[in-house]
Amino acid sequence: MMIRCERLVVGHAGKPLLPSCDLEIRRGTLLMVVGRNGSGKSTFVRTVLGLMPPVSGRVVRASPEPRLSYVGQVASLDRVLPLRARDIVRWGRLGGWSFLRSRAEGTACQRAIEDAGVTPFADRPFRALSEGQKQRVVLARMLASEPDVAFLDEPTAAMDAIAEQQTIAHLSRLAHERQMAVVVISHVLGLAERFADEVLFLDRDDGVVVSGPPATVFAHPTFRRQFGGQGQGDDAPR
Amino acid sequence: MPHVEMPTWEAFVGAWELFADPILCAVVAGAVLGFLGVFVVLRRMVFVSAVVTQSAGVGVALAFYADIHLGMHVDPLLGAAAMALAATMVLAVDATPLGLPREALLGLVFALSGGMAVLLGDRISQEAHDIESILFGSAVLVRPLDLTMVLLSGIVILVVHIWWMRGLVFASFDPDAARVQGLPVRLLNRILFLAIGVMVGVSARALGSLPVFAFSVLPATTALLLGLRLPWAFALATALGVISGAAGYLLAFFYQFPVGASQTVVASILAVLGLVVAVVRTRRSRSG
Repeated sequence: MMIRCERLVVGHAGKPLLPSCDLEIRRGTLLMVVGRNGSGKSTFVRTVLGLMPPVSGRVVRASPEPRLSYVGQVASLDRVLPLRARDIVRWGRLGGWSFLRSRAEGTACQRAIEDAGVTPFADRPFRALSEGQKQRVVLARMLASEPDVAFLDEPTAAMDAIAEQQTIAHLSRLAHERQMAVVVISHVLGLAERFADEVLFLDRDDGVVVSGPPATVFAHPTFRRQFGGQGQGDDAPR
Repeated sequence: MPHVEMPTWEAFVGAWELFADPILCAVVAGAVLGFLGVFVVLRRMVFVSAVVTQSAGVGVALAFYADIHLGMHVDPLLGAAAMALAATMVLAVDATPLGLPREALLGLVFALSGGMAVLLGDRISQEAHDIESILFGSAVLVRPLDLTMVLLSGIVILVVHIWWMRGLVFASFDPDAARVQGLPVRLLNRILFLAIGVMVGVSARALGSLPVFAFSVLPATTALLLGLRLPWAFALATALGVISGAAGYLLAFFYQFPVGASQTVVASILAVLGLVVAVVRTRRSRSG
């Protein structure tokens, strides 16, 4: 177990958004967090990461403390920042007060750049890249940080279908081969069914929090009512 | 029209001892504020800088008021630094949990400091010339204490910011990811705000609010317009701050203009040149 949520209730300004949740985030698993827009997916992940306080319950991390990495939605990254893609990837090597030390991050960054397919545009300005390329850059930053647990908020939102599938497949391989825990917020139910080891389904309107293997979660009545069969609902999860 | 003889280089060199301190002060303030200005501009804090410099001016006016009406001697440098820091601390507060954007706090501090400046000016009219010097930077000389404070603050701020550069940049532009990776984001942000508050405060007392605001925005704007990578943008903004401070002083000396306004105009001309270069480059890249 890397992270355990114990009766965790997430919300804003002390107001619960979802019912309480018990969940374990384990090594070697790809956990995909799914739900409609506004269902509380980002709030849940931000609370688990400690970026927001829980309304109640707690988040317990393994000892020694696992190394975490977070890739937020790329749209939130500044668009005027005059840095190369390579410079953004280097941020992955920073942790705690390590920014005070001299750089010793070349090999890990170069490997991450190659793994994420960033090499062709590694020296181009980040702001000049397409949204899909920017997502590859922040993925490379996550890889460079060599985390124990990686959280990614819609990391494929701006990618085409092929790149999207390749990215989720890559994340699944990372989880299994490097024994990482990977948590991905996604709307792509088809990929969740194919690649996820576990799915966490959140629904704010019906007050539902369900987790488990994809088949179990997709059989939940609320899920079936909302999405019909996978990828055939109104709210566009594919 | 009477013929006015322009001062000569010989006269300037002959009186160098007199001008060395204010030029050194302008050069150091220009360099450090130019450097910090890259953060100010990229983090969309230009109005923050305007409000903090105005608050520093109010701090000086408050010091005069306390001296004249309350019989309390408060050094104007202390008044400027205290008010600049107070404004900085208010502006560093994250008002989003209250449902307010930072602009709302900026508006509050801007209106309050503007109103206070007028009210205090009304009560210390005998010091109006000094107040004008402080707000617009028409003072030709600087006090040794002011120079010392600008030098000390400037050196410490520049060293810390260059040393901590990677952390400050990461924390500034992707704070959530930086926090998750364990960087002390809150501390880094506070240090940046504190640095801006201190440097604006001590520089505004020595040089005036107008040139200090110009130094904290225009050199960085020019450097960023040229499309340089971030490390070069920091270096060029620092150099342009130095040029604005020194060249502005020379312009004021030779053409007998107010110093602060001259420094502001030089920094503005450089920014306009940067804008022209950026427009030409963008058009060429589009047509190419």
